Amino acid sequence: MELRPILSALMRSRVALVLLGLQIALTLAIVCNSLFIISERAALMERPSGMNERDTFVLASIGFGADFNLKNAIADDLAMLRALPGVVEAAPINSLPMTNGGWSSGLSLTREQKTSSAYSAMYFSDDHGLDAMGARLIAGRPYRPDELGERSRKTKGWPPVIIITRALGNKLWPGQDPIGKSVWLDTDADASTVIGIIDRLQAPWVHNDEVVEFATLLPEVINEGAFIRYIIRTAPGQRDALMKTAEAKLAEINPNRIVREGKTVEKIRADAYSDDRAMMIILGVVIASLLIITALGIVGMASFWVTQRTKQIGTRRALGATRGAILRYFLAENFVITSIGLVLGAGLAYGFNVWLIQHYQTQAMPWYYVPVGCLSLWLLGQLAVLGPARRASRVPPAMATRSI
Amino acid sequence: MLKMNHLSKVYRTHLIETHALRDFSIHVREGEFVAVTGPSGSGKTTFLNIAGLLEEFTGGEYFLDGVDVRGMDDAARSRLRNEKIGFIFQGFNLIPDLNLFDNVDVPLRYRGFNASERRRRIEEALARVGLSARMKHYPSELSGGQQQRVAIARALAGSPKILLADEPTGNLDTQMARGVMQLLEELHADGATIIMVTHDPELAARAQRNVHVIDGQVVDIQAEPRMRGLGVVVPQAAQA
Repeated sequence: MELRPILSALMRSRVALVLLGLQIALTLAIVCNSLFIISERAALMERPSGMNERDTFVLASIGFGADFNLKNAIADDLAMLRALPGVVEAAPINSLPMTNGGWSSGLSLTREQKTSSAYSAMYFSDDHGLDAMGARLIAGRPYRPDELGERSRKTKGWPPVIIITRALGNKLWPGQDPIGKSVWLDTDADASTVIGIIDRLQAPWVHNDEVVEFATLLPEVINEGAFIRYIIRTAPGQRDALMKTAEAKLAEINPNRIVREGKTVEKIRADAYSDDRAMMIILGVVIASLLIITALGIVGMASFWVTQRTKQIGTRRALGATRGAILRYFLAENFVITSIGLVLGAGLAYGFNVWLIQHYQTQAMPWYYVPVGCLSLWLLGQLAVLGPARRASRVPPAMATRSI
Repeated sequence: MLKMNHLSKVYRTHLIETHALRDFSIHVREGEFVAVTGPSGSGKTTFLNIAGLLEEFTGGEYFLDGVDVRGMDDAARSRLRNEKIGFIFQGFNLIPDLNLFDNVDVPLRYRGFNASERRRRIEEALARVGLSARMKHYPSELSGGQQQRVAIARALAGSPKILLADEPTGNLDTQMARGVMQLLEELHADGATIIMVTHDPELAARAQRNVHVIDGQVVDIQAEPRMRGLGVVVPQAAQA
């Protein structure tokens, strides 16, 4: 490899070297950080909600008219829904993971606490709720029918038994078994005892990393106003058909209400992460554009140099360079330019990441992003320069004696 | 050293055929200094290109230092060119971004010499042309005559069997041309085989032997008396 003379020659074309090097450096810095942001978003989107998302959907209704009775409507609706062939389970629910709206509350380990030990999403449902969501109980027991209650504005205190997620249990009692432990949802009321642990059930707020895995399932049905939401789990493959049927049946058995269009939990997930997906697409376009522009920059510069040095290439051929030697020369020259850009770019990439951490609370980029980015840009550079280098290798040695 | 028998070179386009060399025969022995003269378009440069393995020929035979070059692939021709031939171009053809040391180093790197061997040869070659003190200078910092000396050093560094000079003084003023010509004569006196293409009769007269080319054919070969005595093969075209 003629690295030293190549470097020496490049030092006499500093402007081109600096411009191309800077372009490569910026590309590396932006591509590495963008890819990291994309991977972070992808990881965020891939987190399981704890529900059976494939077979579940929600329906909601708002009653109207003076004779609309929410409690009776819920009883009738649930009886109808649970009787529908193909429905595995149905339950009332106040909110769901990924909906970005719901009820949260602080939990305290002692009555005397001034500040809560943790904040948790509150899901109100009946003894079918756990099953309807498809959440997995990993310890303790589910609710019994005799433990069910109602919640309205007038309700005082909190239920004596609750089920919480494993993550919330670990937060409240690190390294201990939460089953049988007491916790206060309101320090002015009685404590609730943990009777069950759910493997996982996300809070509605998927972008709040602090509470997203903390959820409490309460054995109460909301009996306030005229709004009610149901979560319905079907047998595999029957969700979409049953969603239409259930929607029609709800309207049919009680016409004094508006039934909202059903929504699958998969659609809820898609909506919850639509901004993240848009950001990933935009960053992907930015990455692709940068790589294309950088590759075109390398092609353009290499093509210019080949044209500019046609006589020189002919002279090298006349002095004994094979076609392969000329090809290798241009590949090596690109390798040197790219390497200079990448050394600068590596520093920029880490610096940019530190800036993002300081200003946007992102995570530290794993160390391997920059080396992998360097390898990719080396490869891109070599592929980009291959065309002009092949053209250079085809310059005939007789060019050395031509007057051009 | 260099032997061409009935060599021809035809350039073809879809419209016309141009016969650049026709029935071209020449024999240059080791240690000879031959000037090839002729008017513009006579085929001098084509002869030089073929002699220097820069171009392929259409017909005939060409032996370089006993090697039949007909049918050689590009890589083999490049290696043979690098090993056997030193070029001196009219426009010097130095690489402007490399200093003198690196310029002379170019053919040596293609030869595959190790770094210490290359350094020794470069230093010797630059010393031979009187430019040892300017190794780190760039071509643009030298006069035309000095640049041509560097080109000669580059041609000499690989210890070639033959030096091919294409109008070596064509871009130089009289004084510089004289210096370069003197250097070529010194090299010849030291045993170098030189073929010099020129249109300058005065320069040609300083060579040991003149070959005159017109319309792609050798029309006259003027052999030095002592060379005749050595039995120089006179090409058929010249005999005719």
